Amino acid sequence: MMSLLEAELKKDPACTTSLSNYLAKDHPDESKWADCVHCGMCLESCPTYEITGQEQHSPRGRVHLIKSVAEGRLSLNEQFMDPVFACLDCRACTTACPADVEVGGLIEEARGQIRQAMPLTGVKGAVSKVFLQGLFPHQNRLNKLGSLLRFYQKSGMQKVVRKSKLINIMPQHLVDMEAIMPEVKEPVRKKYKDVNVIKSKGETKREVAFLTGCVMDVMFSDINEASINVLTRNGNDVTIPKNQTCCGALHVHAGDRDMGRKLAKQNIEAFKDSDKVIVNAAGCGCALKEYPELFRDDPEWHEKAEEFSAKVEDISKHLYDTGYEIPKAELKTRITYHDACHLAHGQGIRQEPRDLLLNIPGVEMVHMPNSDRCCGSAGIYNITNPEMASAVLDNKMQNVPEDVEMISMGNPGCMLQMAMGVQKHGRTQKIVHTVQLLDWAYQKEDGKGER
Amino acid sequence: MITTELLTELQAMLSPERVIEGDKNHPLGNSGIVKVYPQTEEEIASILKFANDNGKTVNVEGNGTKKGFGGLTESADILLSLSNYKGIVEHVVGDMTLTVKAGTNFKELQEYLTQFKQKISLDPYCPESATIGGIIAANDSGPKRLGYGSSRDVVIGLRIVYPDGKVIRSGGRVVKNVAGYDMNKLFIGSMGTLGVVSEVTVKLRPLPKYESLNLVLFPQGNMDEIKAFATKLLDSTMEPVTLELLSPSLSERLIGQRCYTIAVGLEDVETSVRYQENFIQSIQPALSELKVLSQQEAQSFWNQFYSLSPNSSTDSTQASLKIGVVNMDVTHVIKASHLLSDSHNLEVEANGGLGHGLCQINLSGSKDDILSAIQQTRELSTKLGGYTVINHLPFALRQEVDTWGKKPSHFFLLEGIKSKVDPNRVLNPKRFVGGI
Amino acid sequence: MAVKGIKTTDRHILNLANIVGDARSIIYHKEDLIAYDCDGFTLHRHLPKAVVFPNNTEDVAALVKYCSDHQLPFLARGAGTGLSGGAIPLNGEVIISLVKMKKLLSVDFENRRAVVQPGFVNLKLTNSISDKGYYYAPDPSSQYCCTIGGNVAENAGGAHCLKYGVTTNHILGLEVVLPNGEIIEIGANGIPDEPGYDLLGLLTGSEGTLGIVTKITVRILKNPESKKTVLAYFDKVEDGSQAVSDIVSAGIVPAALEMMDKTAIEGVEAAAFPVGHPKDIEAVLLIEVDGIEAGLDEQINQILDVCKNRNVREVRAAKDEAERGRWWANRKTGFGAMGAISPDYLVQDGVIPRSKLPEVLNKINKISEESGLRIANIFHAGDGNLHPLVLFDARIPGQSAKALEAGSACLQACADVGGTITGEHGVGIEKREEMRFVFTDEEIIAQTDIREVFNPDNLLNAGKLFPMPGRCVEIKRDLKEKETAITS
Repeated sequence: MMSLLEAELKKDPACTTSLSNYLAKDHPDESKWADCVHCGMCLESCPTYEITGQEQHSPRGRVHLIKSVAEGRLSLNEQFMDPVFACLDCRACTTACPADVEVGGLIEEARGQIRQAMPLTGVKGAVSKVFLQGLFPHQNRLNKLGSLLRFYQKSGMQKVVRKSKLINIMPQHLVDMEAIMPEVKEPVRKKYKDVNVIKSKGETKREVAFLTGCVMDVMFSDINEASINVLTRNGNDVTIPKNQTCCGALHVHAGDRDMGRKLAKQNIEAFKDSDKVIVNAAGCGCALKEYPELFRDDPEWHEKAEEFSAKVEDISKHLYDTGYEIPKAELKTRITYHDACHLAHGQGIRQEPRDLLLNIPGVEMVHMPNSDRCCGSAGIYNITNPEMASAVLDNKMQNVPEDVEMISMGNPGCMLQMAMGVQKHGRTQKIVHTVQLLDWAYQKEDGKGER
Repeated sequence: MITTELLTELQAMLSPERVIEGDKNHPLGNSGIVKVYPQTEEEIASILKFANDNGKTVNVEGNGTKKGFGGLTESADILLSLSNYKGIVEHVVGDMTLTVKAGTNFKELQEYLTQFKQKISLDPYCPESATIGGIIAANDSGPKRLGYGSSRDVVIGLRIVYPDGKVIRSGGRVVKNVAGYDMNKLFIGSMGTLGVVSEVTVKLRPLPKYESLNLVLFPQGNMDEIKAFATKLLDSTMEPVTLELLSPSLSERLIGQRCYTIAVGLEDVETSVRYQENFIQSIQPALSELKVLSQQEAQSFWNQFYSLSPNSSTDSTQASLKIGVVNMDVTHVIKASHLLSDSHNLEVEANGGLGHGLCQINLSGSKDDILSAIQQTRELSTKLGGYTVINHLPFALRQEVDTWGKKPSHFFLLEGIKSKVDPNRVLNPKRFVGGI
Repeated sequence: MAVKGIKTTDRHILNLANIVGDARSIIYHKEDLIAYDCDGFTLHRHLPKAVVFPNNTEDVAALVKYCSDHQLPFLARGAGTGLSGGAIPLNGEVIISLVKMKKLLSVDFENRRAVVQPGFVNLKLTNSISDKGYYYAPDPSSQYCCTIGGNVAENAGGAHCLKYGVTTNHILGLEVVLPNGEIIEIGANGIPDEPGYDLLGLLTGSEGTLGIVTKITVRILKNPESKKTVLAYFDKVEDGSQAVSDIVSAGIVPAALEMMDKTAIEGVEAAAFPVGHPKDIEAVLLIEVDGIEAGLDEQINQILDVCKNRNVREVRAAKDEAERGRWWANRKTGFGAMGAISPDYLVQDGVIPRSKLPEVLNKINKISEESGLRIANIFHAGDGNLHPLVLFDARIPGQSAKALEAGSACLQACADVGGTITGEHGVGIEKREEMRFVFTDEEIIAQTDIREVFNPDNLLNAGKLFPMPGRCVEIKRDLKEKETAITS
């Protein structure tokens, strides 16, 4: 609710008056905070509030601050930046909010404002530039990095580095991450470079386009492989449009909305001829679905983005909605399921992946309390805010049941983070993507052996 | 000012027949040189104002059932009796609320409410003579507190005449109210030391459609077994309104069998009561006996129970103690009380609520034995982290043992409240904790 | 010695930081403090001097003593979900936030009690003991996030207090830091009727003006054997409210008896937790009975008979716990849901004798018509506790003032029929003046006299709960502050 006195002082919407301290371009959307009545229902859903107990690190606190900039009570400075960038962008508050306030969108808009006003400099700026501008949007560079990593792992160098004291000079959170780096295989985009359509194994029921993801295809190509297997087994012809690129989620999260828009346009064009865009990374899927948000001030692209986002579907929901073959082989394993934020809170997908898992014979599902609590990965948050990410992860791990063999989920970022959690907390669980389990079951059924 | 002058002055304010010479030497003390019977709130106010302006002290009572409860003055200047200030002010049947004058007799009230199938969900001792105002000022409660709570849960509004004669309302006539401080609480159990409660508003409850009393007798007297049974019942989803442990002597008086007994009261629709009876039967310990009293039988049990407490009409040297401990420690208190009868040559009857932690021990015997028994009980309750308050004791003995026990560490707050409200110490002097 | 990481020259901030001993346990930059300029009531906003996060009772006592010794105004805050502005730092207070004291200290099932720190979240208590079949009864709608310390301060109610009572009926003991820094314990060991005035009862609901609660012993209850929940739809508000009155006077004590009118239904159905209430219905009752399974059908049947007599259109019974949960989520998020149909709302909290429901609802309808503002009603009908939600748009000049007027008129209507101005949200800043609807000056002074015993310098949460003689002066000061804030 707005203040009586302030409201009387204010003749027009805040952002367009001289009171606002926002820059004109791409300013945060007033209607988003107008819905917030400051009831506080979001507080307990917020991982950073749980850890700090501080209002400015809570959803309603952040909204309040963002609104205060528009009212001219605050300026775009370092002190404001801290709470806005400490947000994990996990969207749990969106689920908790009775009035459907889009906190996530507001945060991203505010970050955009901060980046416009205060471009990153120094080491942080350099790191950000390397990753966000120099690497993710360029598949060939990523592939090269992937090859290097493969070399690093295969050559035995990894062992050498781990054994030698060399690793001790890396910052702790990078050491932690190195330790859980997945085995890097050949990307599917490379593998299917010359294939136009990967045909369905049985009768073709529909054609879908597949988003390989940038990092995903390099670090987790086996999951992409599993996704293609599962799709083709269930009547989908799969195409991998060539011009697709990084979804831009990380750029938007980091406040680089211009780059976000650039990538969005490229993807919208790349998937122009597809009716369905299947995504196996929750973070990417959510970003694609939110493209219209980036083009609020550009009606032409806004419309294209709306059309595009309607075509985007998470793989678990696609399988659930279109029907899939229930595997006959038994996997005999106890698992638990972690709701990736951008699936559960971002896309409202909770039941579908559980359905896939529960339908695999022999899979016993153990409930994870607070399963939709963020793990702290949050894109590259675990690189930019290691301390908070680590505290969030510790809270998450307390909820992972002890007596399970695997933790299943639908997002690569979470997989890395949870793997780190397993390692750090001396646990034994294997981290798997939901479709991987399904793929294993199919493979076992086909006699190709388990895992 | 001598008695006659005081009489004259007060008779000028009230009609003469309602101002009489007091009984200065009552064995329970708490009397007055002059006794007055106001009939209106204005009269109460003018008496208090008169006392406040003229440095007089005032003792307050209803029908005097709690004359033996605290107080170190044998006689104040004025004894203000509310026994004539009675009657229903407002009963809104549909709202289930009732406003009455403080001197209204409790039993009469309950009987009146019966025709509307309603009740005040309090079960104080001596209901035939106790007044609603007295019950609330002394915060009296019985075994059914487990199911229905006590005065603090039932009272929703009060009118209080302050020592300077002004009338203050606290709470209201609605069942939920957080406007301002919850001043009702301040006066409940304050022993009339802050103001004279003139009107009470309570929320009512429907009369239960059916009731039964399940007496579980433990002839072996094994406390572990008793505790285990109580724990099991409390940990179930049953909803007993009483879970009262009776000492063997009290059990003998009430049902003719001398052994520890747990009285489980059930009040609900009949199907539910029956279902719970079956449950109790199913968990009844092997060596116990079970007696079920239904409807009127259960009611007459309770009626007899409530009449056993010593009050102003009892003449021999008697004491009644209220002991508060953590729920399950009630077993220790009741057992210790049982042993008192032998070690101190006393008649001892005791009961305690395993679901709320309050016990009552009635003692009768010689003065020294009673004092020693009180001392011993107080030591035990302190050891258990609780307290012992003496609900009834002759005036002479109250000089030798403190009714309230040790002052709490936050006594300065109690003292501060008293000084604010009654700076001249007009009302019920030395009746309360720490000589307040 | 200074605490590492503190960048200020303000000696008070430095000293307060020393007490909590950690730069992360104090907030003093304006940018961060703005997040603390209001609680769930947003019509008043003031910046605190600082926010400190004590870790234990001793920290609280030391902070309080420091403030008291240096005459710094201070107040306690929990989750900041209060709806009457009780935690707003009107005087630039040092806010003592208790959210880091959030432990469940002990649970004693045998004696049915739990001990919690004040920052422990209400619902977490029930969640922590539900596996043993127990729960904590007071369930304010904000129970997902509000703290039990805050519940004590406000004497919080909830949907189920019709049968089980409000917070004060469930508090057995408190550890309190008095405004001079002294620590006292009342209701030691959670034993009832401790000799002396009932400070437990007095402190509960004192809106943080008498002391700061640092430890709370609460009663826990065994889950009822069974619950039955129904929705009853009425074509006329009058029928719905008559049914409420009839149910209560028929001698049924439902666990909850909630009502929403058409505007409220529109709101909850447009928001995050819709359950498919018919769109054309004028009133819905959410009725829950609980207790021994064997006795519930009789109660439900009796309730259904009452509803039929009052022309109920349709009755739905919850099929399972999941459906029951959805109905309650729909109801409990009702206030926030108004954000979906109105940019702003003002919630009131009057209580009336239940038999006056139809009369007062009519009156509120008139107030709505006269003000031109929509008023939604979501309320605890069984208690007679109304929550008129005045819907308005603060961006339209004059509407905020109109909404305040309408809200106040609703409270006057409640007071006129012998009711009161707040049943569970507290007086705070919001209803200070409306206190005069129900209390005389003498009665108000009788209460401030009590405050003086505890809080003689009035440094602790001053300006709350009681009407202020210098109110106009204060508003002018508010306005001036705000102008300065905006122009600076």
